[in-house]
Order: sequence, then C-alpha cells, then structure tokens
Amino acid sequence: MLELQGLDKSFGAVHVTRNVSMKLERGERRVILGPNGAGKTTLFNQIVGELTPDKGTIHLAGQDVTGLSVAGRARQGLSRSYQKNTLFDGLTVEENLGLAAAVHTGHATRLWSDSLAKPEVREIVAEVANQVNLMPYLHAKVSEVSYGVRRQLEVGVALATRPMVLLMDEPTSGVGPEMSKGFHDLLNNLPRDLTILIIEHDMDLAFDVADTITVLNYGEVVFDGLPEAARGSKLLKEIYLGSWEDA
Amino acid sequence: MFRHNTLRYGALVLLAAGAVAHAVTAGYFGLEILTEILILAILVLALDIVAGFGGMVSLCHGALMGVGAYAFALLSTKAGISVPLSMVAAVAITGAGAWVVGAVCARSHGIYFIMATLAFGQMAYSYVFEAPVFGGDDGLGGISRPDLSLVGIDLDDSRSFALFCLAALTLVYGAAVITLRSGLGRSLSGVMHNAQRMRALGLTVWRVKADIFGVSGMIAGLAGVLAAQHSMYISPGLLNWTVSGEALVVVILGGLGTLVGPLVGAAAFVVLKHEVSALTSYWHLVVGSILIAVVLSRANGIFGWVEARWGAKLDRRLADSTRGTEAQEVTGDA
Ligand SMILES: Nc1ncnc2c1ncn2[C@@H]1O[C@H](COP(=O)(O)OP(=O)(O)OP(=O)(O)O)[C@@H](O)[C@H]1O
Ligand SMILES: [Mg+2]
Repeated sequence: MLELQGLDKSFGAVHVTRNVSMKLERGERRVILGPNGAGKTTLFNQIVGELTPDKGTIHLAGQDVTGLSVAGRARQGLSRSYQKNTLFDGLTVEENLGLAAAVHTGHATRLWSDSLAKPEVREIVAEVANQVNLMPYLHAKVSEVSYGVRRQLEVGVALATRPMVLLMDEPTSGVGPEMSKGFHDLLNNLPRDLTILIIEHDMDLAFDVADTITVLNYGEVVFDGLPEAARGSKLLKEIYLGSWEDA
Repeated sequence: MFRHNTLRYGALVLLAAGAVAHAVTAGYFGLEILTEILILAILVLALDIVAGFGGMVSLCHGALMGVGAYAFALLSTKAGISVPLSMVAAVAITGAGAWVVGAVCARSHGIYFIMATLAFGQMAYSYVFEAPVFGGDDGLGGISRPDLSLVGIDLDDSRSFALFCLAALTLVYGAAVITLRSGLGRSLSGVMHNAQRMRALGLTVWRVKADIFGVSGMIAGLAGVLAAQHSMYISPGLLNWTVSGEALVVVILGGLGTLVGPLVGAAAFVVLKHEVSALTSYWHLVVGSILIAVVLSRANGIFGWVEARWGAKLDRRLADSTRGTEAQEVTGDA
C-alpha cells in the first residue's frame, strides 16, 4: 500500500534521513519509534510531499507519487496528522471536520452549493466525530476546547478525507495517560483495512497497536520487524535509554 | 467563515431603508452622492470578499473596476454592441482578467501579494493610458445607460438610476453571501485559517484563490460598468492605484471580513468626503485621522466595533426571549 525506497534527505550538512526503506501492506499498522531528532517527522514530511527527498521514491498503492504535489498525494488517499496541532483555529470542530470531508467529496470547490450542508459531508463529519469522540464538542470553536480534544480533532481532520493510508505524528504527544489510553481504543476501533503509519513515543501504546515496528536512529532504520522482536531488542533499549539520559 | 447575526440583519435593514428613503426624497445633489456610495459599496464588497475572507489584500481592485468600465464603454460605444450585452460582457471580461491575476498572485503572500496585485493594476493603468483605442488622457464619452423604457423606467433620471444601483448592490450582496457560503467560500476560509492543512487535505489552494478572485473581479467589473454609466464619461484615472487604496481604506474603516461593515464604510467615507471637503480642502487629513483612530482602537472598523460590543449580546437576548425566559443581564464585553 505504501512503499518507501531509499529515501535520503539532508539539511545542509545535517543528514536527517539516511536511505530509509519500508513497505506497508494494506491494513498494516506500523509504528515508528526513535529518539528526539531521529528524523521521524522529516520522514513524514517527505512521504506527504511537504519536503522533497534528495534521493529515493515513494509508491502509494503501486503508483509512484514522488513527483506529485502535497494535494495530489492527498487526493490519492494519503492523509496525515501533525505532531503540532495544525487546525483551523477560528472555526468550530464541526467546520474543521467538514472542510476536510468537503475536499474528499469534491464539494470544496463548488460555487453554488454549501459544502458543509451536503448530506455526504455531514455523514462523514458525524461518523468521524464518533470515531474520535468529538460529538460533544461539534459546535465549540477550536480555541474553546481543551488541548486533548484538539489532539483528537487533529486525527479527526486527517480521517475525514477517508484515506487509504493514514500517517499520525505522535497523536498522544502532550496528553495525559488517561487520554493516551483513549487514543489506543480509538486506534483499535478504526477500520481494519486502513493502513496506518504512526509515530509514537509511548512504548506501551506502540506495542499495543503495532503489527510491525520500525526504529529510526540518526535518520537510519536500525530495526524493522515484529513487536515481539523489538521488545527484546537490546539496541532499542540502548537508544531509548540514551535519549532519556540526554533529555 | 461568514455568518449573519441579528445585528447584521438589523444593520442591513436599516441601511436599505435609509437608502430607499434617501433615494425617494433627495434632490439632485443628494442622489449623486447616494449613487456614488452605492457604486463604491459594490466595489468594496468585491474587495472584502478577497481581503476579508481570503486574506488576499488586493491593490488592483480599482484597476479591475476600470477594466469593467472601459470594456463596457468600448463595447457599447465603439463595437456597436447593445448596452445589456456589453454589461454582461464587461463583467465577464473583468472576471476572467481577475482570475488570471489571482492565479498568478496566489502563490505569494502578505506584502508580496499586495505588490504583485499593484503591479498588475499599474500595468492595466498605463496600458489604458497609452493605447489610442482607449482615448488616452481624454478618456471616453458618450456612454449610455440601459434602456428600461419598456417597463416605464427612465434611467437617465438620477432618481431612477440611484434605485437601479441600489438594486444592483442588493443583488451583489446576495451573490457575495452565496459565494462565501458555497463550497468554494468555505474552502477559502479554510485556506485563510491554515493553507498548509487545506493542501494536506487535497485542496488545490491556488485554484480556490483564483476562482474567488475571479468572482470578486466580476463584482468589481460591475461597479466599473455602473460608474461609467453614472458619469457617462470615463478617464484612465479610474484605474489608478489610489482608487484601490481608497477602497481598502473604506473596507478597513467599515470592518474587514464582515460584508456589512464595508457598506457602512462606503456611506461614511463618501458622506465624510463631501461634508468635510465643503468646509476645508484638507479633507484627506480628516479622513486620514479618523482611519488612524479606527486602526489604533484595535476594533475591526466601525461595524466591527459595534459588533464586538452588541453583536453577541443581541443574539443572546433574542435567544433568551424566544425561549420564553427572562433576558439575563450580561456583564462585560461580549
Ligand atoms: N527544515 C529543517 N531545516 C533544518 N533542519 C531540520 C529541519 N527540519 C528538521 N530538521 C532537523 O532534522 C532533525 C530531525 O528532525 P525531526 O523533526 O524529523 O525529528 P523527530 O524524530 O520528529 O523528533 P521529535 O521526536 O522531537 O519529534 C533534527 O535535528 C532537526 O533539527
Ligand atoms: Mg517529530
């Protein structure tokens, strides 16, 4: 469903992505682990097209999308959430979801009808709001809801384009343990055929949702395999202990 | 995202009633002023759509209005095309031109966007000034108004023409609301709040900006057509960037991104200009001082200020009273 081949990216002298390859099957849930600054977000930015890799290719559902724009890739079924909330702050939760659903259904560029009033759009909004527990907040402005709710909305907006492949960049970053648990239920309730690539710092959550795990360190894939194998990996412990000591 | 509230509806009713009352009772000079306000109001609505709801601060809307005026004048006086058809064609031509400007400028932001639109505007200005077909400095005359004698209306009468412009403004306001509430308008709002996210959702951002700029251009073009019909003579000064600057002043004075505010701004601006210029030729100083005061007050223009104080309060009062409960006292600013 999603295949990365030999992705490479440098910022000047800083080599942030080193020959990264991975392959996700349809419905696979892969977790990317790695210490701060390992290049996880930079990798996401290259997958969705916000950054251009120096080398390498990206295939989505068998099609080479390396040359496509951000919007073009999104229309092919790729969607992402951001580590740092990237929402429509002045608008309501419902409008945030509606804007995304409108793009997906093709109503976002029509001049004669209100996209947010379209039954297809409202249906997606209601469904996603249920999936990410946003029902009570639909009419609140983003600026009026708590940080945790905004994190849910961040994922909700990404889901409202009904993607084939969903990239989530630390959905639980900055939220408490209770909310983290909620996210984990949420993830397990998403359709099984949705392919998910998720960056996660919370090890418990990571091992719980992951079919497969990739560990990045200094921009390089240092582990790629099943969670059981990762759990016992000495390398992983070293990397994580290392980063905790640095912090 | 555009919403009507009680205050906005109320203001619209008041403005419309005031305009109609004035149109019925005023003498020649009063009608000239009213028509000037109505045409300016159409232009600033066009500008508010792009600047207030899309963050695209344009300094070429005066030029777009000029394009509409010249296109209409040329088609109806030189090409021998009927007045109504020339009007439609002029609006379409201006819209198409604006779409191109929007498409080219869509990738730039802030000051660069402003400068790019200014450059387009000045290009149009100098072209109209230099090309012989436009009559150069002398401009074009002999422009006629639509013939509505079939329905018993003589538009050469200034009262009828003022009412005609009021009807046009009403239509334009409706079109602006429909545009802002359409899928395209909603997306525009998304783009203004967070263009990066809209792109990540799969929206071709430049297309949305260009399409909206095109719609706005059509409205500016209509303002130009009416301006040409109003004075029956046009000159390149219409395309000068100062006209665009003045339109921007009016939008900010009235309340950016409120649609109703720019209407208030247009009325305030024209009345102020005529009243103050009757007293002193330094009227620009007075209007300038008022603009500075409005900007420094941190309110969103005259209407934005009114809305911030009473808009939400009014809605709550009304909601309370329709629920049949006692209207609750609201403390502090809404
Ligand atoms: N646009 C940029 N220009 C220069 N350096 C950058 C840029 N973006 C990221 N970097 C650098 O690339 C490295 C990887 O950053 P990235 O954000 O991908 O890390 P990360 O794995 O997501 O870390 P975190 O867990 O903190 O989110 C960091 O050293 C960062 O400073
Ligand atoms: Mg990151």
